[in-house]
Amino acid sequence: MNLETFKYDNRIVRAFAIVTVIWGLVGFSAGLLIACQLFWPELNLNLQYTTFGRLRPLHTNAVIFAFVGNGMFMGIYYSLQRLCKARMFSDTLSWINFWGWQAIIVSAAVTLPLGLTTSKEYAELEWPIDIAIALVWVAFTVNLLGTIVKRREKHIYVAIWFYISTALTVAMLHIVNSMEMPAGLFKSYSMYAGVQDALVQWWYGHNAVAFFLTTPYLGLMYYFLPKAADRPVFSYRLSIIHFWALIFIYIWAGPHHLLYTALPDWAQSLGMVFSLMLIAPSWGGMLNGLLTLRGAWHKLREEPMLKFMVVAVTAYGMATLEGPLLAIKSVNSLSHYTDWTIAHVHTGALGWNGFLTFSMLYWLFPRLYNTKLYSVKLANWHFWISLLGMMFYVVPMYWAGVTQGLMWKQFTSEGFMQYPNFLETVLQLFPMFRLRAIGGTLYIVGAFIMAYNLWRTAKQGQFVPEVEVQAAPLSAAPVHAEDKTVGWGHRAIEGKPMLLAALALVAVIIGGLVEFVPMWIIKENVPTIASVKPYTPLEVLGRDIYIREGCVGCHSQMIRPFRSETERYGEYSKAGEFVFDHPFLWGSKRTGPDLHRIGGKYPDAWHYNHMDDPRTTSPGSMMPRYSWLLTQKIDTNALAPRLSALRKVGVPYPVGFENGDAQKDLVAQSERVIANLKQGMITNAPANTEIIALIAYLQRLGTDIKVQAAAK
Amino acid sequence: MIKNVLTDIGGIGIYGVVSICLFFAVFTGALIWSLLLKKADLDARSVLPLEDGTVVPAPKGNSSHE
Repeated sequence: MNLETFKYDNRIVRAFAIVTVIWGLVGFSAGLLIACQLFWPELNLNLQYTTFGRLRPLHTNAVIFAFVGNGMFMGIYYSLQRLCKARMFSDTLSWINFWGWQAIIVSAAVTLPLGLTTSKEYAELEWPIDIAIALVWVAFTVNLLGTIVKRREKHIYVAIWFYISTALTVAMLHIVNSMEMPAGLFKSYSMYAGVQDALVQWWYGHNAVAFFLTTPYLGLMYYFLPKAADRPVFSYRLSIIHFWALIFIYIWAGPHHLLYTALPDWAQSLGMVFSLMLIAPSWGGMLNGLLTLRGAWHKLREEPMLKFMVVAVTAYGMATLEGPLLAIKSVNSLSHYTDWTIAHVHTGALGWNGFLTFSMLYWLFPRLYNTKLYSVKLANWHFWISLLGMMFYVVPMYWAGVTQGLMWKQFTSEGFMQYPNFLETVLQLFPMFRLRAIGGTLYIVGAFIMAYNLWRTAKQGQFVPEVEVQAAPLSAAPVHAEDKTVGWGHRAIEGKPMLLAALALVAVIIGGLVEFVPMWIIKENVPTIASVKPYTPLEVLGRDIYIREGCVGCHSQMIRPFRSETERYGEYSKAGEFVFDHPFLWGSKRTGPDLHRIGGKYPDAWHYNHMDDPRTTSPGSMMPRYSWLLTQKIDTNALAPRLSALRKVGVPYPVGFENGDAQKDLVAQSERVIANLKQGMITNAPANTEIIALIAYLQRLGTDIKVQAAAK
Repeated sequence: MIKNVLTDIGGIGIYGVVSICLFFAVFTGALIWSLLLKKADLDARSVLPLEDGTVVPAPKGNSSHE
């Protein structure tokens, strides 16, 4: 047979492997820092660049896109070449992918601490970086599909299907969710408002988990697990069902992040039902992975990477059982906004993504350097320390979540709130926060041990930049008789990568459309409220400061229709109240109390003192000081482009408002706030400081419907 | 449940029906496909991760990889 000789590119795999380790350590450490800030608020050193609000997105982005992202590219670039028996389509595209992705990570690491953020979770990066992400992703997708097209292996292995669905779906999610109107080089407003923005964001957020953290890693599991166990996957048939069922169902489940919010009920129910259905494909995949090890469990004793793999797959199973349970509305009513969610995501992140990445790294380094792992003993230490760390992380967080959820809902026998002071429910959690920090520390110690082990492995071996191999070209592949007769079966699809890609894309588009279209075309889904008016110029700037400081990371603006919430916060939130909110700021976690009805609850001076030092007004609070707001000047030059951008996305400011009247309005409202502060014995507040704008915004929150009530 | 969901959407009930039909069609389609596949074909596909291609021995003998 005519054999072709070609070379696998190991350089790109090594590059991604090294940055995976480095960004992993950075991302974990950022997480530990902010975890400690929750019981030690001074740990931001009184710097605005290191507050929890600004570093939390840095942690999530670093772990998701830098650690897991690079780990995903590492695994795909290694396995794809070997599964296709072809070098990557283009070395240039490989390196554009690599350097472009690192540049994006670095720009995130710079802009997020500076407060340049859209505030939409896991999509915080501003519009120029969003464009860069899209371009780099296109380079990756072209390289992926190009390699598949020029492959020498007739069949496209199931792992590659997962890679294809990842590439296409992430592109779609990123573009749709990042539709925003620029209002300066690093400022933009979401094209969508309120409920619609929330739906698009959580369609994105949920499916970022699905198609960035899950499908590529399932593909990698289907490659590396059989490889390490030295036997084929338990059931290839099951893997096919796993793939189609997973990608088709996952895309519908996003609304489970918005249960009991102002999102219409039908969308919530849709999200809940599809979430429950997700258990089937997820567990099918998990069992398929674990059963692959049947008869090979003894290998776990010799091969540490298999141990990591087994824990990863088990964590996947636990997280994908827990996720659908959390999506049941009654369970969600307790768990939502609490640390239960944090425990859930860290079972997935530390267990599934973390351990699978460690597993791949332990597998790849000896092979890339043509040597043995430097120390199996150290790898075993890493395994046990990190596993212990994971337990110390998630168990206290479950405890904290359930404790706080129950405390929020607890009434006395007389019918009053048992814990009316929110802070009381927070102080209860401090021991859990400390335990969590110990868990995180252990996990990081394990990761450092791995980094040392891998470094020594590299040092003792000799890097193999390319592996020369031979394989028959695709044209020489024998045609089986059944391939001719059965032209309509799955065989016909899987031999055609573009058709497979198109079908996968159609599968994921359908779910999104069914949710979005009614939200956009049916007015009754977002009932308008006549008294809800656009924010004033000063409030717009105040809201932008709220966004910049990442307040949404700890404070929700969405009161659910439970007595325990309406008693504590006030009237429940209505969809019509958010029609001018670009972006929505509902939040997903209540480390501090909900703020939707904070307007008018306290005098202006209370907010002034609270921002200067939260512990003067709320003893024991873990909120950091925001004293820089008292001295930093408002950027009034930014007002005109921002109002103009908001008008373009649909906020009805009169044409030309930003050129004259807006500035006058801003000055007049500032003076009113200053006068209020004077009444509260604060006589030295300069008129044009950021605190004035933030107070104006906070005092407006949730008050529009009260105007309506007063008029009646 | 489905009835309530569709009623609440209001005015575009057919949209929901179409989506449910599509969902079942895709799901059963995938199921039937996978069941129709022959065992020999499945086995051929499932061993793909274990075959990296024939490694060409390097002249100096130190680039053997897999």
